[in-house]
Amino acid sequence: MDSKSILERLAATAARSLPAEGAAVLLPATAEGCPVVGAVYGVAADDVKVLADWANLGLQPFVVEESSASALPPGFVTAMAALLGSASCPLGALQVYGAPPRQFGPPDAERLQALAELGTVALELARRTAEMEQLEATKSQFIHVATHELRSPVAVAQSLVRMVLKGYAGPLSDQHREIFGRIAGRLDFLENLVNDLLALAATRSPALAEETGPVAVNASLGRVALLLMPQAEEKGITLTHIACCEEMVVRATEDGLDRIFVNLVNNAIKYTPSGGRVTISLRPLDDHVQVQIADTGIGIPAEALPHLFQEFYRAPNARSSGIVGTGLGLVTVKELVEQYGGRIEVESTEGVGTVFTVTFPRTQILN
Amino acid sequence: MNKILIIEDDPDMVVALRLPLEANGYQVFTASSGEEGLQKVVEIEPDLIILDVMMETTTAGFQVSLQLRSPSPDSPYAAYRHIPILILTAIHTTTSLRFGPDEAYLPVNDFLDKPVDPDTLLTKVRALMGEAQS
Repeated sequence: MDSKSILERLAATAARSLPAEGAAVLLPATAEGCPVVGAVYGVAADDVKVLADWANLGLQPFVVEESSASALPPGFVTAMAALLGSASCPLGALQVYGAPPRQFGPPDAERLQALAELGTVALELARRTAEMEQLEATKSQFIHVATHELRSPVAVAQSLVRMVLKGYAGPLSDQHREIFGRIAGRLDFLENLVNDLLALAATRSPALAEETGPVAVNASLGRVALLLMPQAEEKGITLTHIACCEEMVVRATEDGLDRIFVNLVNNAIKYTPSGGRVTISLRPLDDHVQVQIADTGIGIPAEALPHLFQEFYRAPNARSSGIVGTGLGLVTVKELVEQYGGRIEVESTEGVGTVFTVTFPRTQILN
Repeated sequence: MNKILIIEDDPDMVVALRLPLEANGYQVFTASSGEEGLQKVVEIEPDLIILDVMMETTTAGFQVSLQLRSPSPDSPYAAYRHIPILILTAIHTTTSLRFGPDEAYLPVNDFLDKPVDPDTLLTKVRALMGEAQS
């Protein structure tokens, strides 16, 4: 619920519960000038005027005298104003309007006062929500800027190193070749780290989140298998995608779902030695869909399992294997899976292999 | 038939592009901004333009390609509309943006991802120059 809709809810609730034909929430002026209209119900914002000086509004709402009818929006003959906040810290005013034959009296004033007290809480909530929205906007802006600022120098450095390694800066001695090769390796790692960090930050930023919708799991796995097949073949690993019978659809984003499976299949290929197998399969399970990614790789030792989904964590055998990794892939996978209402489980035997199981609730296709 | 204009604001990237191109006999000219780039197109009449998608502003590369390919008959670049454009891009994995040549939005001939691989660069340059010849 954003800050604006909280104020609208307050105005609507005031009007419906009194009852009154119209209501408005007024907020303090920004910088200089008059109080501003925060929300309206049943009246036009332009017709709303300040009914009472907030410094004079005490614990009793102010009931507008008939003689002051010119301060009212057209069509309305009676009104009340109650203070939001307190005399020492006025946060605004809640004004309600009545059309004939309505005339506000003491019981209405009492009810308005009670509403104003609740309204003060709502206003504080709206203010904090607005602050959080601003913070989120700042965070997403930071991510966008960081994306370019971090990636750009790394990409340029990689380009330069490639030119040197391919001989375009002159012939290379063996030592030069070796050292530039090492630099290239560290730069590639840095590139992966930047990408993984930014992907994780984006996953955690609601402001950057795309609208979820129905996404076909079968198609996503097909895309991922196609993408990673060359990598598997190059390493001499048999990648098998066992397609399933019926179309299975979940509520997610295409990019998010692809990222989950790319990370899991990529890991499987990375940590499986040449000659091994990686198998992708899926099946319906009641009203869920279950995806399994199984490999005959180095496996995960039991003591590593509780830490597997922590940021930057890599199992001891992964670290000593010489295989490069950022330790951010699985935490990103878990957060995305949970965002889509699913869960992830892992079973593994060191030296034999690993199975990751991801389960999502199915959704209706909306065509 | 071998003049290449590189419009790129990062001097290190210019070096990375220049090395393989000059080693293969191309004559390389450079501009460090979109504005300077447009001036040099008129001055030099290159056979190929290599353009970075993002320079001093996020849309600098787009602006240059749109101006060069402007269909307006009064465009100062009407005589240069035929020059092939190779655009350098960095794929952003945090958005779902999928680049593709687009008549209205991004009128270019081909893309090259950063980091630049010299072999890929040369293959694309040769293809674009070859196309222009026929």
